[in-house]
Amino acid sequence: MRVLLVEDYQPLARALTQGLREAGYAVDAIADGRQGLALAQTNAYDALVLDVMVPEVDGLAILRRVRATGSNAGVVIITARDQLPDRIAGLDLGADDYLVKPFALDELLARLRAVIRRRYQATTAVVTLGDLVIDSAARAVKRAGKPVTLSAREFALLEYLALRRGQIVTRTEIWEHVYDFAAEPSSNVVDVYVGYLRRKLGDGEPGTRRLIRTHRGLGYSLDAEGGV
Amino acid sequence: MSRSLRVRMTASLLVVLILALGMLSIVVHQVVSRALVKQLDAQLADDASAVAGMAEDEGAAVEFEYESLPDFERPQRPAYFQAWLDDGQVLGRSPSLQGRALPRPSPNGGALTYAWLTLPDGRPGRAVGLRQPLRIEDAGPGSARQSARYVTVAVAQGTETLDAALGTVRRWLALWVGITMIAASLAVVLSVSRGLRATRDVAARVAQIDAAKPGPFLRTGHLPDELAPLVEKVNELLARIEASFARERRFTADVSHELRTPLAALRAMVEVALRRPRQPADYAAAIAEMGDVVGQMQSLCENLLALARLDAGAVPVRLEPVALRPLVDDCWRPFQPLATERGLTFTNALDPAAHATTDRDHLRIIVSNLLSNAASYTAGGGSVVVRAGLTTLLQVDDSGPAIPADILPHLFDRFVRGDAVRGAGVHCGIGLALARGLGDVLRLALSVENTGDGGVSFQVRAAGAGPAA
Repeated sequence: MRVLLVEDYQPLARALTQGLREAGYAVDAIADGRQGLALAQTNAYDALVLDVMVPEVDGLAILRRVRATGSNAGVVIITARDQLPDRIAGLDLGADDYLVKPFALDELLARLRAVIRRRYQATTAVVTLGDLVIDSAARAVKRAGKPVTLSAREFALLEYLALRRGQIVTRTEIWEHVYDFAAEPSSNVVDVYVGYLRRKLGDGEPGTRRLIRTHRGLGYSLDAEGGV
Repeated sequence: MSRSLRVRMTASLLVVLILALGMLSIVVHQVVSRALVKQLDAQLADDASAVAGMAEDEGAAVEFEYESLPDFERPQRPAYFQAWLDDGQVLGRSPSLQGRALPRPSPNGGALTYAWLTLPDGRPGRAVGLRQPLRIEDAGPGSARQSARYVTVAVAQGTETLDAALGTVRRWLALWVGITMIAASLAVVLSVSRGLRATRDVAARVAQIDAAKPGPFLRTGHLPDELAPLVEKVNELLARIEASFARERRFTADVSHELRTPLAALRAMVEVALRRPRQPADYAAAIAEMGDVVGQMQSLCENLLALARLDAGAVPVRLEPVALRPLVDDCWRPFQPLATERGLTFTNALDPAAHATTDRDHLRIIVSNLLSNAASYTAGGGSVVVRAGLTTLLQVDDSGPAIPADILPHLFDRFVRGDAVRGAGVHCGIGLALARGLGDVLRLALSVENTGDGGVSFQVRAAGAGPAA
C-alpha cells in the first residue's frame, strides 16, 4: 500500500516514514504542502497522511483539492489542534480519520489499515482465500494452517492483491501501490517479487491450488478458485 | 456624611426646602402682618380724628365734649384715648382709663405717630398720636377755619385681634411647610429608590457574569440616562476581559500545539526504535535525534517561562558593558549545524570594539531568537549577516524570502500564524514576541522590514534612536 505523508516537522516525518515503511507501506514523505498536493494529484496513493499546519498549502486545502478531483484515497489527518471545530472541518472535507498529536504509531497504522480496507470495500483485517489467510493487522499469513514468513514488500504485494482479489491487477498498479520513490525502478521488479511470493506461499506446488494467476500481457490476479 | 445616596439627596433637598419655605413664610407673615397693622392703624387714626373732633375752640375756652363711643366704654378689652392741649392741660380721657393716663405722644409735625405700648391694663397695644388745630365752634364739618390752638390726642387699643389673626396665619404656614416637607421627602425617597433600583438590577446581572466567559453583555436600553454610561463602561470592560481571555485561550492552545508536535515526534521515534531489534548504531542515531527534539522542547519551555516572567513584570535587569561581536558569535553557535545543513552562510560583521551597556542575558535571548529565526526561515543557500547600521545597535539581515506584507506587522505577536508561510522547520512562535518584550525591558526597539532586494532585516536600536517600524 502506498502512502503520502505531508508533515513539515522533520523529526516526526522521518520517524513516521521509517515506521510506515517497516510496516510494509511504500511511503513518500514531503514537508511542503504545494509539492504534497502535486504528488497527491499525480500518483495513485492508497492513503494520505496529512498534517494540517504545513507550509504553502495546508493539509485541509490539500484534502479539499484532492477530493475535488474525485480521488477516493483514504485520508488520515494528523494535527496538534484537537478542538472540535478543527476535527469537524477535517471530517467534513472528506477525511476518513483524524489523529491528534501525539499519537501512538500503532494507532496510526490501525487507522491506515482501516481507511485502506474501506477503500477496497473490505470490512475486516483478515482476508481468507481458500486455504490462504492474510491478517493485515498482525501482518501474518498462513497457508493451509502453516505460517508463512514474508518480507515487508512481499506482504505489501500480497495484501494489495488480496484487497483486489478476483480482479486483474496490472504491473503498473502494483508498482504504484507497493513501491515509493525510494525504490529503484526496474522493469521486472514486480515479476521478481511475484515470483518470491509464489515461492514462499508454495503456490503452484503439487497438491496446492494456484492462487496467483498470471494474465499474459495484462497482469496478475489473486483468486480463491485458483487456476493454472 | 452618610454614604447612602438616598439619605444624602433627601437631606440636601430638605435643607433647601426649609430655607425656601422658611423665607417664603417670613415674607407671607410680614405682608399679612403689615396689612393687619395698617388696618389697625387706620382704625386708630379714625378714632383719633373723632376724638380730636370732640374738642372745640370756643374762643375763651376750649371745650371737650365726649360723645359716647362703645369702644372706649366696654368692660372687656376696651380702647383708650386721652386728649391734651399744647400747654399740657388734659382735655379729656376715655371712661375706660378710669383715671389712669396714656403717655403723651411727642409732636411730629402734622403727621400721625404710631407706637407699640403696654396698655394701662397691662395688655399689649398700639397707640396713635395726633396733633391738629382745634375745631372752631359753629364752623361746620369741612370748614376751612382753623384755630390757632392745637389739640393732641392719643388713642390706644389692644392688639389681641391682630395677634390672633397673625397666630392663625403662622399656624397655617407651619402646617403648609410641614406637609410640603413630608411630601417632598417621600417624593425624593421614592424617586431616588426607583432610580437606584436599576443599579441593583445591574449589580445582580454583573454578579451573574462568569468571569471566564463574560458574554452576553448587559443591556442598556431600559436604564436611566445616568446609569447607561456606567453600564456601557462595564460592557467595554467585559469586552476587554473577553478579548483577553480569548487571547489566553489561543495562547494556551498554541503552546499546546507547539509542544504536541515535538512530543509526537519523540513518541514516534521511541515507538519505531522499539518495534524491532536494531543495530547499536541505529539506536544511537535515534537517541541523538531524540536529544535534538528534547533540546527544542526545552528551549520552547524556557522561552515560555521567560515570557511568563515578562508578563508578570518580574524581569531583573543587570546593566554591564557587553561586547556585541563575541555575544553574537556565542548566540550563533547552536544554529551553525542547522545553517550548515541548509547551506546558509553566516557573517558576523560587527566591529570587534562594539559595546553596549545592557543586560547580557536578556540581550543574548534577543539575539538568539533573531538568529534562530534567520537560520530557520532564510531560504536554503542564502546568507545571514549581523552588522551595525547607522541607527541600529545591530541588525540581522538575511537573504529572504521577503515576509508577506499582511504578516509583517504581526511578526512580533505571539504565535503569529504566518510562521508556517515562511518556510519549513521548527517554529516556536514565541521567540520574536519574547525578544521584543525583553527589548522593551532593556529600552531596545526591535523592528523588521523587507529590504527591497528580497531580503529581510531585523533591527535592534536604542529606544528613541532613529526610525523604528
